[in-house]
Amino acid sequence: MAEPVTELGSWRGEQVKVGQVLDALADLRRRSPMGATRTSVVNLVVVARTGDAADRAAAAIAGLGGRHPGRTLMLVPAGSGSGSNGDSGDKVDASVSLLGSEVEGHDVWSEQVTLSVGRAMAHHTDSLIEPFTLPDLPVVVWFVSDLPLADDPVLRSADVVLVDSKVLGDVGAFPRIAELSRRHIVVDLSWGRLRPWRELAAGLFDGRAFAPFVTRVRHVDVTGKEGPRHLLAGWLASRLELPRSAFSLSPARHVSLALAAEGASFEVAREDGKRSVRASASVDGGPSHTDVLTLPDASLPWSLADALTRLERDRVWEQALRGALVFAPAGGP
Amino acid sequence: MTEQNPLAEGAESDRRAPPCVLVVFGASGDLTTRKLMPALAELADGRRLPAAFCVVGVARTEMADEDFQARMLADMDKPSAAWESLVSGFRYVAGDYSHPDTFAALKRVLAEVHAARGTGGNVVYYLATPPQVFGEVAAALAAEGMSKPEDDGSFVRIVIEKPYGRDLGSARELDAQMHASFDESQIYRIDHYLGKETVQNVLALRFANAIFEPIWNRRYVDHVQITVAESLGVGHRGSFYEGAGALRDIVQNHVLQVLALTLMEPPATIDAQGIRDEKVKALRAVDILSVDEVGNEVVRGQYDRGWVEGGEVPAYREEEGVAADSRTETYMAMRMQVDNWRWAGVPFYVRTGKRLPKRYTEVAMEFHDVPHLPFGRKDTRGLGPNALVLRIQPDEGITLRFGAKVPGQAFRVRSTSMDFSYGAAFMEETPEAYERLLLDAMVGDPTLFIRTDEVEQAWRIVDPILEAFADPSFPVAHYQAGTWGPREADRLLDRDGRRWRSP
Repeated sequence: MAEPVTELGSWRGEQVKVGQVLDALADLRRRSPMGATRTSVVNLVVVARTGDAADRAAAAIAGLGGRHPGRTLMLVPAGSGSGSNGDSGDKVDASVSLLGSEVEGHDVWSEQVTLSVGRAMAHHTDSLIEPFTLPDLPVVVWFVSDLPLADDPVLRSADVVLVDSKVLGDVGAFPRIAELSRRHIVVDLSWGRLRPWRELAAGLFDGRAFAPFVTRVRHVDVTGKEGPRHLLAGWLASRLELPRSAFSLSPARHVSLALAAEGASFEVAREDGKRSVRASASVDGGPSHTDVLTLPDASLPWSLADALTRLERDRVWEQALRGALVFAPAGGP
Repeated sequence: MTEQNPLAEGAESDRRAPPCVLVVFGASGDLTTRKLMPALAELADGRRLPAAFCVVGVARTEMADEDFQARMLADMDKPSAAWESLVSGFRYVAGDYSHPDTFAALKRVLAEVHAARGTGGNVVYYLATPPQVFGEVAAALAAEGMSKPEDDGSFVRIVIEKPYGRDLGSARELDAQMHASFDESQIYRIDHYLGKETVQNVLALRFANAIFEPIWNRRYVDHVQITVAESLGVGHRGSFYEGAGALRDIVQNHVLQVLALTLMEPPATIDAQGIRDEKVKALRAVDILSVDEVGNEVVRGQYDRGWVEGGEVPAYREEEGVAADSRTETYMAMRMQVDNWRWAGVPFYVRTGKRLPKRYTEVAMEFHDVPHLPFGRKDTRGLGPNALVLRIQPDEGITLRFGAKVPGQAFRVRSTSMDFSYGAAFMEETPEAYERLLLDAMVGDPTLFIRTDEVEQAWRIVDPILEAFADPSFPVAHYQAGTWGPREADRLLDRDGRRWRSP
């Protein structure tokens, strides 16, 4: 998916003012190859609170290639990378890169700005973001490894918030994500990765031979890691209006679903040793069918690119998240 | 029809085929291998096909189900797990289309598939066959009681490929044959050009933007050029092409469809009836030439030897299956007029040809000059008229050409292009035309298929030209392969004080 990205130009400054960073960016653009196409579609603000998170995010953004041309502003805490560790009022350590890639024969560029934010600025990060946003384009804020506090100033600039409920590690974070989704449009990278299972499960009930059984599901087994299995269980509970008692959840390396209905059974599970998921439906004494789906790339760049194409409120995810709360440790396995 | 599936709510695969069987006639042929199966594989990988789905191939070649499956797998580079799974359920019926046993066998197989897979009696027949057998197959399906749905909850559709006849009379004859077995609402006439994203984007550009529609008329538009260029020759299709030519092969369908989308008035709704009604109205406004006028408005050309994309290529008359004294046109250019309030007086120049320098399709709209240019003549040497170019293939996108000041002390103005590239602006994969249209046929959306009245109107436009071409004295202008066509085509525009664009 990703096209090779080349650096068309770069600039680095220590303890510089925002205006100097903007000038450097404009200068790089002026000096860039004339053939480059500047089709911008998104402002991406990345909040990485650790060096490790910053590295992962940088690799993911590089992996986007030219598919989401726009400007990326990465905010990292001062001292997490090279440069000064100090906290010098309105000055930041900054690096700027102009990146080019070729998409279907067209030169496309994107811009990446990294700012090391000191403690003094931590409560005013929105004032750092605004000067860098391209006009008329959505501002997407990606919290790479944690969740924002309710009064996080970055949220003031956000049109859409990206999180990854799986990376957060446990379902204890779900109530905070649910709270966040009440105030902002939230897109969950983990929910995107579960799409193959969801689509295959939904497809099992297509057609009049199988459709009647969707209201006759009596028991559901869900396996997987903490987070994804809870999210899928929450989704099935909310869509099928099933009680907690109809579910068995158990930990496993891969996600799987087994739905037992009156007179029919339905399964979605990863195929052993393959990057594919198999779904099957069988009506007792009646028709049956099997569907196989090759899993998409599991990489973070893929998840990020996918999430950036779905920047809208997802009511089904919100209901699944709330549904998952009953499966949190206090409520069950 | 069926109970609501609560799990499907919010699914990203919003366009998904319902359970059905796709019956492909001509299953051992080139179209099936090159277009249909790759499109199906993409649909399978993209989760657009239902789990309850099956392909039944029908052809004369003797094969067992397993042979057909192996062939469909072998023809695919790097088959995905989804494709392998899908193909493992394919069925095959061998037989002659003229023999009732073939259709009786097909009926048995369909009954088995419906019972085993839960495909609900839904069938889409795809006729990837020579057009000569369309009527025969349709009649045989009707004779076996397979042309109508089993009940109100199921559907039966039939997809046919162009050409729809050789002229107005034969098109009407074909329609009569098809309508004897299928209702018009069941018939999906495919023109793969309409499946291209950028062709559909003509509608989005025109009807979703306030800034383009006000200038989309005779007041602002000087003229329109439509170019459908191919770098390929006729290849192994020489004998077919001898009976078709560029007029029947490209102009009657692809070019007139693109023209109709360019000309049409805004529909009330972007649905099948809304769009097709407006397209027919647009085609009805196209001035139909008399046979006597054709010589003045149309250039007919044929390629000679030349060089294309670095390789030497033979003349058309030297191609396999082509007569040494052939007069079939491999190139056509024409000037068209449209008689309605929006377009009266605006010439539409259309050209299409084989063995042109590159494969390229565009609709280019050139605008009138400004009423007064307040700059010195030497300062505007590099300034051309404003142009809006819809690039349909291969580099899909939109170009807007306008004048801008050249940086510096002098006030020099030069044309510059603002370029929008589909591939660069959207991450979503662009579906191939057949992928889109196959799914539409299964979903039951006929918007991008050609209705019978569109076909007839297109033939009305083309018929006088065919008649003129039938006259042995009508000139055939020769052009060197690898050039943009014969000089006569340049003269068609020269006399109006215009020039063909250089794509």
